[in-house]
Amino acid sequence: MQGSRAAQFELYKLYAKAMYNVALRILNYEEEAEDVLQEAFLDAFTRIVDFRQETTFGLWLKQIVINKSINYLRKRKMEFVSTDEISEVPDEDSFDDSEIRLQADEIRTAITELPDGYRVVLSLYLLEGYDHEEIAHILKISENTSRTQYMRAKKKLKSILEQKGMRDE
Amino acid sequence: MNNRLETFVKENRKAFDVMEPSAGLWAKIEQELDNKKKKKPIKLYLWMSAAAAIVVVFGLAWLYVGKLQNKDLEIADVSASYAKKEVHFAGLITEKRDSLAIFASANPELYKKFTADLKKLDEDYERLKAELPTSPNQTFVVKAMVKNREIQLQLLKQQLLIINQVDDYKRVNQI
Repeated sequence: MQGSRAAQFELYKLYAKAMYNVALRILNYEEEAEDVLQEAFLDAFTRIVDFRQETTFGLWLKQIVINKSINYLRKRKMEFVSTDEISEVPDEDSFDDSEIRLQADEIRTAITELPDGYRVVLSLYLLEGYDHEEIAHILKISENTSRTQYMRAKKKLKSILEQKGMRDE
Repeated sequence: MNNRLETFVKENRKAFDVMEPSAGLWAKIEQELDNKKKKKPIKLYLWMSAAAAIVVVFGLAWLYVGKLQNKDLEIADVSASYAKKEVHFAGLITEKRDSLAIFASANPELYKKFTADLKKLDEDYERLKAELPTSPNQTFVVKAMVKNREIQLQLLKQQLLIINQVDDYKRVNQI
């Protein structure tokens, strides 16, 4: 059941890069992201007997990576929500990104410039493909807070991108 | 609804996973995996020793308690009258054994033979005593024990008689 070292290396090669990026988006620190990656793979390999084929190995590993990353963030005493943000209702209409030139690299760097709370919610929703219900569960916040945070994060992202665009012109 | 950003990210998802973990990371993971594999047998060994220790402790405790219980059950617990008889016999036996011991230096070979016979009877007695607590018919065992004592006593009486005669004979011959 332990699996051979060669098979473990194959899994590592297959998932290491994607998982590293997941951790890095949440943590924003390369060293911590590598620690998370190492712990996550060790966990996955030693607990592989617990893994049931309900999901794919990749999704299972991703869950481990995200949970570990969130724990690292919490150790930094990061708060996912400040109280004044909860009361605000998401306002979809006020957001308009039609004028922004979209480029993956620019968006990626702009995301790293977001504050921790925004960055985590936006990454989980936009890039890891979780819905607000799942994000609420992962971060132990309300679904509505997740929505609010996401909208605010998007606004902030837009302003960062706009500033960059102006600089480029 | 405005989701240009969402659509763009979805379509260019790959372009967001561009960072690479350092090359030495797998070696670190491999090393940790090796450490864990080595640790496991030691852990199992420790658990087994702990389990063995517990078994030994319980075993000793069980034996000790069992011994105490065995000791507690004497003939007196089964039958007072037999106990009295046994004590009486035991007293006489000690007395006769002391008398016999006096002749020991004079007739070492004979004394050795006699004590061997007595030893066998004594062993029978101890065996009966050990059986007593678990025996379904304790009165029967007690009877056998008292009977054993009685035979010991008679044997001793005869031995004394013989050893006395031998002693007399030797003395007469010396004169």
